[in-house]
Amino acid sequence: MNLARAARTLLVIATALIVAWAFIDVGARVARSIVDRLDGSAVTLTVLHWGNTEEEAIVEHLVREFERTRPGVRVQRLHAGDYDAKLKTMLAAGTPPDLFYLRYEDVPDFAEQDMVMRLDAAAIAELDDFYPMLVNAFRWDPDAQRTGRGDLVGLPKDFTTMVMYINLDLFRRAGVAVPYDGWTWAQYRDAMRRIAALGPDIHGGVIKTWPMVLRNLVWSHGGAFFGDDFTDVRLDEPGALAAMQLVVDTRFTDRSVFNATGISQDEDDLFRRGRIGAIGPLGRWMAPRYRKIESFGWDVVPLPHAEGAAPVSAIATVAWAVSSQTKHPEQAVDLLRFLCGREGQVMSSELGLAIPSMRSVAESDAFLSPGRKPANARLYLDMIDHGRLGQNPRLRQFDRILGNEMQAVLQHHDATPAQAAAAVERKWLAELASPLNSRAYGRMPWATVIAVTCVLLAAATASLVWFARREKLGAIARGQQRAGWMFVGPWVAGFLLFVLGPMVLSLLLAMTKWSAMAPLSSAQFVGFDNFVHLFAYDEDFGQSLWVTVYYTLLAVPIIQVAAILVALLMNQAVPGIALFRTAYFVPSVVTGVALVTLWITIFNNDTGLLNAALNPALNLLGLEAPDWFGTDSEWFAVPALVMMSLWGVGGGMVIYLAGLKNIPASLYEAARIDGASPVRQFFAVTAPMLSPLIFFNVVMGVIGSFQVFTQAYVIRGSSGGTNKDMLFYVLHLYDHAFRFHNMGYASAMAWVLFVILLALTLLVFRGSRGLVHYEGLKA
Amino acid sequence: MTTIATAPVMDAKPRVKTPPRPRNLRRVLGTYALLVGGGVLLILPFFWLVSSSLKTDQEISNISQLLPAVPQWGNYAEALRRMGLEVNGGAIRFPALANTIVVTVLCVVGQVVSSSLVGYGFARYRFKGRDTLFMVMLATMMLPAQVTMIPVFLLFRSVGWIDTLLPLIIPAWFGTPFFIFMFRQFFAQVPESLLEAARIDGAGHLQIYARIMLPLSGPVIAIVAIYTFMFTWNDFMSPLIYLNSPENRTLALELNAFSGQYGVEHRELLMAASFVTMLPCILLFFAAQRYFVDSAASSGMKG
Repeated sequence: MNLARAARTLLVIATALIVAWAFIDVGARVARSIVDRLDGSAVTLTVLHWGNTEEEAIVEHLVREFERTRPGVRVQRLHAGDYDAKLKTMLAAGTPPDLFYLRYEDVPDFAEQDMVMRLDAAAIAELDDFYPMLVNAFRWDPDAQRTGRGDLVGLPKDFTTMVMYINLDLFRRAGVAVPYDGWTWAQYRDAMRRIAALGPDIHGGVIKTWPMVLRNLVWSHGGAFFGDDFTDVRLDEPGALAAMQLVVDTRFTDRSVFNATGISQDEDDLFRRGRIGAIGPLGRWMAPRYRKIESFGWDVVPLPHAEGAAPVSAIATVAWAVSSQTKHPEQAVDLLRFLCGREGQVMSSELGLAIPSMRSVAESDAFLSPGRKPANARLYLDMIDHGRLGQNPRLRQFDRILGNEMQAVLQHHDATPAQAAAAVERKWLAELASPLNSRAYGRMPWATVIAVTCVLLAAATASLVWFARREKLGAIARGQQRAGWMFVGPWVAGFLLFVLGPMVLSLLLAMTKWSAMAPLSSAQFVGFDNFVHLFAYDEDFGQSLWVTVYYTLLAVPIIQVAAILVALLMNQAVPGIALFRTAYFVPSVVTGVALVTLWITIFNNDTGLLNAALNPALNLLGLEAPDWFGTDSEWFAVPALVMMSLWGVGGGMVIYLAGLKNIPASLYEAARIDGASPVRQFFAVTAPMLSPLIFFNVVMGVIGSFQVFTQAYVIRGSSGGTNKDMLFYVLHLYDHAFRFHNMGYASAMAWVLFVILLALTLLVFRGSRGLVHYEGLKA
Repeated sequence: MTTIATAPVMDAKPRVKTPPRPRNLRRVLGTYALLVGGGVLLILPFFWLVSSSLKTDQEISNISQLLPAVPQWGNYAEALRRMGLEVNGGAIRFPALANTIVVTVLCVVGQVVSSSLVGYGFARYRFKGRDTLFMVMLATMMLPAQVTMIPVFLLFRSVGWIDTLLPLIIPAWFGTPFFIFMFRQFFAQVPESLLEAARIDGAGHLQIYARIMLPLSGPVIAIVAIYTFMFTWNDFMSPLIYLNSPENRTLALELNAFSGQYGVEHRELLMAASFVTMLPCILLFFAAQRYFVDSAASSGMKG
């Protein structure tokens, strides 16, 4: 007993110490940042980038070096794992980083939205040493909506060409000559078949298919994504169809190329473990990771090409760009040049993640690093002559549409290339044809709107005051009034500030087109076109609604029934029941990201617990466990999430258990005297007595189901970023608000959600009439 | 089914620890079978989590190996290091943990103070518009947070609070309908004579609230505190939207970044990181088990 008390005291003290430490730590940091802000003499530049630990170390070194040589300038370096989301949110917050990584693909979007500063190319002397192709990649011509000419919007820091990484040992064992001088896709297919035949654990190859490298595959078959403009989608032409067919043939007909589906699949890691013959198209960035391989030899070879077509390599390149909103343009450009300068280029060359954008560094030993793998490093540079940069549409939705359709044909094998090509074209043209993307709008008349809102508010307040004053009150009653309002004041203030006001603003925003990158005053008034787009042009909207409804229909009944059953079980008076209650309840305290990351590894179809347990049983019946978030995701992804929620059944269980304990024993006595069977007792006594609880839980369950976000966000992130079967409504909304920066459109979506929920709640209320029994409710 | 359906009958009697009578034996055994079966299913993921977190890089991809040959405790140190823990001589820096603790503690305090104040107001004062206001408040429970998400974001942006912890803390100080409702139900049951006596002794409104009502409402405070703790500790969307700088991140964000960066390659570290993140909630549960299981009973939801 004393020991328990001592332990408890110790726990309390430890907790108190940790909390104190946290407050001191955070307090000190906040104080420091306030001091920094007050001390306005120093110029502070913020830099946002992505990359692994080594890349971080390089940027960190450069930044400190810059600070050392420029007294009075301080640099804050931010590193983001989910870079796009972070950058977009910072832009939306009106606090963009002064410098950030800009991918070539994002140039149209960022340049057109004026988010990047135009650089004075003439003032950058070292520009001559850069590969011209890369510099031109970051020039934007707003009239033609093309890159290649016009103002310079970023300085390329590095780039890569695309190659294939091959396992030399597997090639030798299969008797395939290493195609150092290039190979055709026919030769490739044959090689894959021969390597795959080496053993059940060996895959001939891996073909990467995210939009940029898929485009490379299409080019190498003599095809293209687009014609002369972005309305001319050429996926249905022979070259593109042949590229898709190649993937389908090798993955599904020959089964020689590994089809990585599902969550947390890592093909790159399979290569490292020696189970892949050839992997690509991949860039230089894989080299440092594969340099750690000791168990087999590897090298790089060119990408295959179609018979008669020229070899071609896509170029992936990233620039440092300066925000158009930077407060210190001069210092920012200085830092930009420093970060892209020779010192940094040499450092990152030695790291080996990319090819330096300065020709003199790329051609030097710093990059070629003789004696280190890959032996054929020259190939990365040779491919520049076959290098190609595709033009990209400003609307980034194209990649999403493409990604979804390609998943259907190339991963899940439930569409033909021709069908997928047609679907991409249809959806993309619909997107372009939407009034939101084709019509010109005027500014939102904010002055009028605000004036009208103020008048309405004033009228409402006046009438409220008038109503309140109508009745004369005594002193005590007045005291009650004042004190009552004082107590509920916090909530009323919160309601006005965080609910009512935002609802009004959200309704106004729903009628605008606004990116959040520009001031609110630049929002365009679009009337109801956001809703028109939503219902008539956005196919993802229907998809997101379906996923959400599917989840709701499964999750709400299953979880409630399970919770009631478990509660009945827990209500048994058997010895040791308290222990079981604990065991059943514990999982429900685990929620959020930790819950999802745990379950992701459980659902993994290769190394996960669930399928390892299911398969032995299912195999007896001639079945196979589903690939939950992969090929079977259309029907199984949502049930998997329901299963995950079911783990937390203890939360609902305790509520029902309390309900059960409140049912008077006399009711059961009476039922038994009447000869009711146990089942009958449940439906005649237990169910009606629990019905208010069930009703409450169903209403809250439906509302909760429509707001699923964290699970979907985290799982989508680990299954390759496009999984339309995980596109929950709120995730779709988040994407538009913070990824595609369509704040107006997202607001419209929020209101549609609100209306749907309101309608559903009313429906549940109506449907429950006569079913819900309120014992002892005074009318 | 039979065993289950008669459950309430058994429980209706006072709990006596006599050995079960023979004719009930089969039922008891059946009950245990169900209890154990379900319990194993529910505990299995925990077992998997802990065992995976202690495996080596090689062992983790070997599905038939349930337990690590040698527990790799170093995985935890490495996972914590990658989540931002720095031990520098005597100084410990772990921004994600410090931030999460600060936000959680301030939210719990804010939520208890504000919700109890408002609940008390609704329960014990007669003022014009009270019932309308109460209905409006209950109705807002149905409002999806996404409707207000963007404007609230703009609101915090306009006061320059983006990338600070304030947007995560401040809203908790204005009360939450569900918790207000719970406090109101509780305060409404307190006998009027108690307040009357205090009033005669000359206690003011706030004194009655602080000296009489609040101390009485221990169980409700515990529930509100526990649920606020769990929600805030695990909240993901708000930190995702409001926080940018690495040193401002919370554990949930750090864990998500972790799974994006190292998760696929180092599942054992990811599992260790997940376990560390969920541990405080589990500890809290064991420390306050009584309140967890009683929560529904005293929540006033019985109507």
